[in-house]
This record gives sequence, structure tokens and C-alpha cells, in this order.
Amino acid sequence: MRIDTKGRFSFTGGTHPPESKTLTSESKIQSFPAVKQVAIMLSQHTGAVCRPLTRKGNTVQAGQKIGDSDAFVSAPVHSPITGKVKEITLQSHPVLGRSPAVVIDALPHYPPKRPDFKLKDDFDENSYSAEQICDAVRQAGIVGMGGAGFPTRVKIEPNPRLPKETLVINGCECEPYITCDYRIMLEWTNQIIAGIKLARRASGCSKVFVGIEDNKPQAIEAMNAALNTCADSDGIKVVPVKTKYPQGGERQLIKAILKKDVPAGGIPPMIGVVVLNVATVAVIAEAVIYDSPLTHRVVTVTGEGIANPGNFYVPIGTSVAELIEFCGGLTEEVVKVIIGGPMMGIAIADLTTPVAKTTGAVTVLTKKQIGAAKFAGRQTPCIRCGRCLEVCPEHLNPTKIAHAVKNNLLEVAENYYINACMECSCCSYVCPANIELTGYIKTGKTLLAGQKESSPG
Amino acid sequence: MNLADIYQLWQGAWPAGVTMLALGSSFAVALLIASEKLKVKVDPKIEQIYEALPHLDCGACGFAGCSSYARAVLEKPELIGKCAPGGPETSGKIAEILSLQISDSGVLKRPIVHCRAHDDDKSCYGKYQGIPTCTAANVLPNVQACKFGCLGFGDCCYACKFDALGIVDGLATIDYEKCTGCGACSKACPRNLIEMIPFSYENMMTVACSSKEAGKTTRAMCKVGCIGCGICGKQTEQFRVEDNLARLDYEKYQPTEQTETALNKCPTGVIIYVGKTAPAAKQPTEKAVSA
Repeated sequence: MRIDTKGRFSFTGGTHPPESKTLTSESKIQSFPAVKQVAIMLSQHTGAVCRPLTRKGNTVQAGQKIGDSDAFVSAPVHSPITGKVKEITLQSHPVLGRSPAVVIDALPHYPPKRPDFKLKDDFDENSYSAEQICDAVRQAGIVGMGGAGFPTRVKIEPNPRLPKETLVINGCECEPYITCDYRIMLEWTNQIIAGIKLARRASGCSKVFVGIEDNKPQAIEAMNAALNTCADSDGIKVVPVKTKYPQGGERQLIKAILKKDVPAGGIPPMIGVVVLNVATVAVIAEAVIYDSPLTHRVVTVTGEGIANPGNFYVPIGTSVAELIEFCGGLTEEVVKVIIGGPMMGIAIADLTTPVAKTTGAVTVLTKKQIGAAKFAGRQTPCIRCGRCLEVCPEHLNPTKIAHAVKNNLLEVAENYYINACMECSCCSYVCPANIELTGYIKTGKTLLAGQKESSPG
Repeated sequence: MNLADIYQLWQGAWPAGVTMLALGSSFAVALLIASEKLKVKVDPKIEQIYEALPHLDCGACGFAGCSSYARAVLEKPELIGKCAPGGPETSGKIAEILSLQISDSGVLKRPIVHCRAHDDDKSCYGKYQGIPTCTAANVLPNVQACKFGCLGFGDCCYACKFDALGIVDGLATIDYEKCTGCGACSKACPRNLIEMIPFSYENMMTVACSSKEAGKTTRAMCKVGCIGCGICGKQTEQFRVEDNLARLDYEKYQPTEQTETALNKCPTGVIIYVGKTAPAAKQPTEKAVSA
């Protein structure tokens, strides 16, 4: 069943990559068995890097805070397991960059945490004050779990300069292959609604919209059914939006639901909007009601290269290798392991890379998916067809920016608003000349940020 | 002499006057054309260099005089710094004219690559399939195990206008015969591997590694990485180990017996000679590879 939203709730631009979600969409969230070792990155968020609160050889308890920072834009990190700190070392991560990580060896017979959240019958969000909620969110180390990793407390905290009116809950999950948010919406519906109410109370928003793509009718139904049965859900409305990539981008979702534009280079609070991912609101409920820190998250391990794909409740810090091993290992024709989905994810070469708070999926692709196009990997000159301009959801000129970066003209790239790009890869996806536009734009952004990794010896 | 006489004289002499005039002007035109056609082209840089020199014609540089030294230095930039009376100031002016880099003591700088890992020496986890430039590859971690070493996509080669750089088995390799010392490669390297050092001698001793990782990590990643063992530092004070990496002060480098011993004793063979007639780098000892 498809809910008709023809021409109503969407944005201009975008594209339609194959969804490939059926691999895992029917697999329930399973708890992950006891892990042997975790590596907790001390910077799993946008903002200041945490300083470690423990030392080599110390024993840490599950849920113990092991890193914190005094900076406003930051979030503490916690140990998901009981174990002994093996070392504090530098760890590279494709998305988070290079930062220190606390490596913890699990103590034997330590039972894994299960996703057994039960909403109390007498739950009332009004029994918590806004400060209480914000404080609990900060202490639990909650960050945006959709991928950007912005500390949630900073987002929901009332700010007199930028008053918030509307709360948008992002349940789009437009990225192909990934189904973690979909399963959360189906299985943890009440937890999400409790989290929405808490976030609404903390931020002082009057209106709440839950945007869900119309290729997930079951999730829309489940959310609507749960809202109908629970009290005090008047202002919360589920909005089915058109299935289109990148509908889950926060600017695109705001455009689709509220018909408003976020100013270029600006953030949603400038127009009084807060956008939270469904996974984030679910952990808000857990953190506020049970004082439980963010130590586990749902990760979709998927792709044609995985023997038994599925959705798992995984301790943060688990290595990708361990995830893959639990899912039956890699099949033979694997060529790429990607952190995230195939559009925005980054391929990794080192399988010891740990799962972070922002890691929603591990996608393993075989040669068939990568090399399906006849000329895949063969870059030819730009033919000025303009398809990248058509699909760009931010209305940029990707080919102009990419060529500027290629020729080392960073000022030109900046004049064409390179920093407004959110790296959704629509342009690279449609380019008939196979130009890696997003790759060049990403490179240019990094160069502009002035990151030169090492200095001469 | 009255007016009539002058008139009479003019009557008789005007053909001769006109003839002389015509001859004169035709020669002038011929000379003009000849001077343009048969002009000997002189590189304006020679004149500029000559202007920068002290005009003493002392011969201390080993050439007949200032003008012949100016011509020589344009062809062979390494002759910079031979002008004794001018000193470093003159050398600086010449380097500016030739857009070259020189050290404080007036020695021409040339690039060296602080890495010697070829494809077989370094370990990689996977195959990089992204944009084939070092700048793009450097944005991602784990393109290869070593975060400091040469990526081998050749950004430096594209920057070199003199075809003096090439990627040999995944390592940027400098042809010092062709290198002019302009420094473009050094600016192009996103990992800052290429350093401009003063070539006080024809062949310079260098530490061909930039890895600041601990010795154990470096050893696991690369067969020819500096493990910071400090053996070189024990031989001579010219070497010191900082951040798990041996360093050599190139400004003060002097080839001695001790530096030679350091080169021979280096277990991973990261101390090598580079230059026009540099001997081939030795292979790391068996012990270092197996460890």
C-alpha cells in the first residue's frame, strides 16, 4: 500500500536510487552477543574532543563515563561493557577522523545489554522539568544519531536568541539499504513517542511533525496507531513524505513538511525548527526515564556481500570485523565495506574500525553492485548535460565546484558555495560521465578547512 | 661673398649634396635592418644576474669574470653561492631572479622525499578506488597503513614543470639531473613529505621516513620505516630522535666517518644518500624485516 502524496510533500531535486531495503526490513532488532573488545572514540560528535576520565589498567563498569569535556558543544562518552582499559590510543575513523580512543577488554561472562525498554504506565513528561531533561540528555552523551552527530542537548535546549516553535522528527531513512530507523519505529514505537514528548517539553515547541517516507506504510501506521491510543498527543502529527533521496536531509525535510527554506550556511533553529532523528528521540526517552547513557545503538548490517544481514542492538565501539563475523562473515565476491549506506557512506579499508554513535549501518557490496554500470569507474570529460544541477537538492552547481577543486581554485569553489553541499552524492550518482563530483567536493571542503594531516619529519 | 655667389655655388654643388644624403639614409636603413635581423639574443636574466653581482671581476668563483659567472649560474643553478665578495646577499638576489630557494648560507635548496617505501615495502588494507590524486586520497584515513608515507598518486609529478619527478613502484622519485630546485613539488605534497634542503654536497644524507608512530607500529606497517631506535644518534650528534623519528640537521650536515657508520648501522635502512651520483640505497637487514 502506498499512501498518495503526489506532488505534495517533497523538495525539488533529488534522485531515486534502488532502495534494496528488503534485505533487512523484516528482520527484528536482535541483541548482540557479548563482545570481546570495544574501542570507544573520544570524539563521536561535532564539537570538542573529550578528555579521558580513566587510565590504562583501570576497570570500568558498563555505563560508566569514560570521557567528558567542559565545552558547551560536546557530549560525554560511556563504556558499554564492564571490562579493563587496555590502552588509550589514536584511532582512525572514516567519518569522525583521527582521535583518541579508549580500548576496553571485556571481562569474561559479562552479559550483553538487551533492548528491553518498557515504558512506565504512569509516564508523564510534565513530571520532568526542561532543565532536568536537558541535563539528562547531556549526561547520557546523546548526539544526533542520523549521522551528523551534533550534541542533542545543544539542539533542544531553549535559546532566547533562537526561539523554537516546531519540532520535526526525522523518520525518513532515505538512504538505500539502511533499515535501523524503520525497525525502531516498528518495535520501539512507544519509546519514540515518549522521547518526542520529552523533547517537545524540553525545547518548548508547540507543533511536532514526524516525517516518514511513504515507502514505509507500516511504520506510518504503527506511529499513527500508537499516537491514537496515547494521551496528550494532540500536537503530534505523522506526515507521510514522498520517497525520494535525500528526503532525510534536514533542510529537505523542513522544505517538504513546512515549505520553509533554511538560509544558506544557516541552521534550522534560525527559522524556529529543531530536527531530531527517531533513533535520537528513542534514546532520549531511555536516558531521561531510566538514567541510561547512550552506550548501544541499532546498526543495520546489510548488503549482498553479507551472509546473514540483519538489524542488531550493538555496543558502541564494537569493531566492524566483529559485526561481520556475527552475521556469518563475508561472501566471496565482496569488494567494498562501507560505514553507512551506499550513497553517503564511506568505504573502509580497515575492519577494526569501531562502530560510533553515528554509525547506522555497515553495508557490504559485491562486484555486481559496484561494477553494474558498463563504464563504472571510467571517468570521461563533462558533457555539460546539467543532470547534476537538476538533482542537487541544495541547488548548487556540482560540476563547477568539482572542476574548481580539481584545478586547485578553492576561492572559486567557495564562491559557488562549496560549504553548502551536504555530500548526498546525487550528482555523482546521475553523472553520465562518471565524474566523482562528490569526491572532489569533499576533498575541497577538507582542503578549505585547512586539514593537512602531517608535517615534514 | 654676396648672395649671387652663394647661389652660383649651390647651382654647381647640389647633385653632390643630394647624393651624399641619399647614400647616408640608405646606409642608415640598411644598418637598422641589419641590427634587428642579426641581433644576438641574450637572456635578460643574465643581465639581471650580472647587475646583481659586485662587478669586481675577481675570479674567485672560478670564472673569467662577473659576466661569464652570470652566464654559468643561469645554466647550472648549483653554482649559486660561489661569489665570495657578494656573499649570501648576492646569492639571495640571484636565487630571487631564478625563482629558486636557497639556504641562509647561500646553498641551493633541492627537494628530498622523506619516504622510501615502494609498493612491496608498505602494507595496505584494501585497494583505493577513489579519485586518483594524493590530495583526495589523503582526506580518507587508511588508504594505506602508514599515515605519513608517500601515497604514490603523483601530485608532485603533475606540479613539476621539468619532468624531474616520477612515481617508481608507488614512490615519488626525484631525478636530480633534471631538478632545478624550484620547490613546486614540495608545495604540492598533501602529506608534506617533500622538503627543500640545502645541498651543500653533491649527494646528501637524508632520513627517508616521516613516520612518527611508535617503532612497533611502524615496523608492522612498513619494511623501511624509521623505528626511532636511536642507533644513528649514538654514532654522531648530527642525528637526534624526536617523536620516534630520526632527524638530521641538513643545514649543519657534514659527511664524517660517524655519519657513514650511522648509515650502515641503521637496521631498517632509512638513512640514505640522495643526489646526482648517490649510491643505491641498501636494503634493510634481514633481522629488521623479520622482526
